Amino acid sequence: METIEITLFRYDPKVDLEGKEVSYEISTDGPISVLQAIRRVYQKKDASLSFRNSDCRRGVCGICSMMVDGRRKLTCMCLAKHGMVVGPPPNRRVIKDLVFETD
Amino acid sequence: MIDRKIETDVLVIGGGGGGLRAAVAAHDTGAKVLVLSKGIVGKSGLTQTAVTGFQVALGYADPRDNPAVHYADSMKGSYGLADGELVEIFTREGIDAFKDIEDFGARFDRDSDGSLIQRKLDSSQTYARSVKKGDALGTPIMQALRRQTNKRKIGRLHEVFVTKILKDDDKVAGAVGVDFRTGEILQIKAGAIIIAAGGAGELFPVNSNTPDSTGDGYVLALEAGADLVDMEFILMLGHAVLHPRAVRGVLFTFQYLLPKGARQLYNSDGETFLAKYDPEGSNNPARHIYARAIYGEVRAGRGSLHGGAYFDPGSVTEKTLLESLPSQTKYLESFGVDMTKPLEVGVAAHYMCGGIKIDADAQSTLKGLFAVGEVSGGPHGGGRIGGNSLTEILVFGKRAGDAAAELALTQREISMDLKQVNTASKSLLKHLKEDRNGKRPNEIKKNLQEIMNENVGVVRNENGLKSAVKSIKKIISTDLNEMSLSNRERVANYDWIEALEVSFMLRLGQVLAGAAMMRAESRGAHYREDFPKQNDSEWLKNILIRKKNEVLEFEAKPVNKWQFG
Repeated sequence: METIEITLFRYDPKVDLEGKEVSYEISTDGPISVLQAIRRVYQKKDASLSFRNSDCRRGVCGICSMMVDGRRKLTCMCLAKHGMVVGPPPNRRVIKDLVFETD
Repeated sequence: MIDRKIETDVLVIGGGGGGLRAAVAAHDTGAKVLVLSKGIVGKSGLTQTAVTGFQVALGYADPRDNPAVHYADSMKGSYGLADGELVEIFTREGIDAFKDIEDFGARFDRDSDGSLIQRKLDSSQTYARSVKKGDALGTPIMQALRRQTNKRKIGRLHEVFVTKILKDDDKVAGAVGVDFRTGEILQIKAGAIIIAAGGAGELFPVNSNTPDSTGDGYVLALEAGADLVDMEFILMLGHAVLHPRAVRGVLFTFQYLLPKGARQLYNSDGETFLAKYDPEGSNNPARHIYARAIYGEVRAGRGSLHGGAYFDPGSVTEKTLLESLPSQTKYLESFGVDMTKPLEVGVAAHYMCGGIKIDADAQSTLKGLFAVGEVSGGPHGGGRIGGNSLTEILVFGKRAGDAAAELALTQREISMDLKQVNTASKSLLKHLKEDRNGKRPNEIKKNLQEIMNENVGVVRNENGLKSAVKSIKKIISTDLNEMSLSNRERVANYDWIEALEVSFMLRLGQVLAGAAMMRAESRGAHYREDFPKQNDSEWLKNILIRKKNEVLEFEAKPVNKWQFG
């Protein structure tokens, strides 16, 4: 088991005037994707985290595409690394946390 | 309690390949169509991930191939349980369905002389029959269907989760669901409904499906009064990657590399073992034999490090890998996997062979309710040979769309029953009530996955199945009622969506375990270690499941005898 810290964008339209970044420590049993890391935060740290879960998890559909350390990436296709910052793409209206307008 | 009301002629639940093909057909027949998806219409679903094959008896690779041979292969692969009428339909009409999808803009690999390339996955195909596009068949099909749906400006709703089918007397009247983004409760009035909501791989901890494959469609139909069939046949594969964790469950169709110099699977003692598990002794047997063989080796203490077997690419070069399996190779390499070294593969839940029982129009036993794709039952019986799914969704997608539109446009006005609407809406909102402090949806899901994997997986027996039925019943009566969410917000609350999914999964788990308990024999994708032999004198039967007065009924019925032609 290894522990990594990942920072996620959080925004709750009911409470927050603007988004904020929150860091989470998660344990991993070997390399996991950024998408798996997001799920792990939801499962183990904070179930109020909003995210999408209808993606293909193998680089085909594009639904999981987000900003990872400032660059647009398919989160299912890149490995989660200690210190990473993940958030919605700029110029998309955020609905809540990591859920943003698609079309 | 209803926040938004919508009306349409035909409602399609599910935005994968089957759903979009049905939507296009229903639109072209003149109906007003609405496609909705729990995920993103045209992007979510399993179709796009298809890598195994797309069987169409075009006869390019071998002129002896034709729909009759494809029919015989499919019936054999179904272990005699598929509905022959449906198999004849998809093997014959697969040829036109293929031409249609090409006309819609999909392109497949051809030789320099223009003839289509067809290849063979394993011994379930008499001749090489799978057309190909690199190794990613789902992509061109989904691109073409998305284009056609857009061109026709077919109505669509993303991220709407249907939780109830509404009825007007003995036929469908519409549906109730929740919009993930806004948390609004929707009422949709529809003259006909096509369920194309995919499978239920998420009931198992390792699966090749998308994470939202929670089996909602089966339960929606069952609770509306439709029959399910062949639910004990859950296809488990043995070619899922097990390691590293980041790619666990994703399929790697290494069978295509066997003729190119790869070594067949071997165990921790370095021995090949597949042939001894196949009754026909093939070293590249049908897919479910792989799962059983790997399971057997792991149980005998000869498994790989992460509980599977080893695949060694042998003399296969990087160049050949990129030619034969380009998308899979690139995907695995992006996670640092060295594709020229041995890879650990193992068992993953892949496909529900059974589902909502359909007729030749893809209509269920409930008038106005249609089913297409993995969620339907009848086309595959006790096992599905690799590459038949894409053929089936395109053929029955079209048939369902045509028939649903016809029905919706010609029947009398339907009326909505307010009582049903209110009950459905209440049961959606009850999860957000404050006075709950039980387990979280995710914990209950994990618990169910363990029960299913242990007792309703590759190898089953009566004691295990009984205990599964009992445990699931207990979870439903205790944990499910007390299930608590992290927050009670309606907007984009994934915890709420997962709660609804878990509730579907538990009800489906009871159906799967119940059917597997009734079938006291082994056949196709269903293996009982207490009844290890196929018993044709007693079990050339389909198990039908229906819900009457809140109780599940299981009925074993002799198969529909059918002659091709």
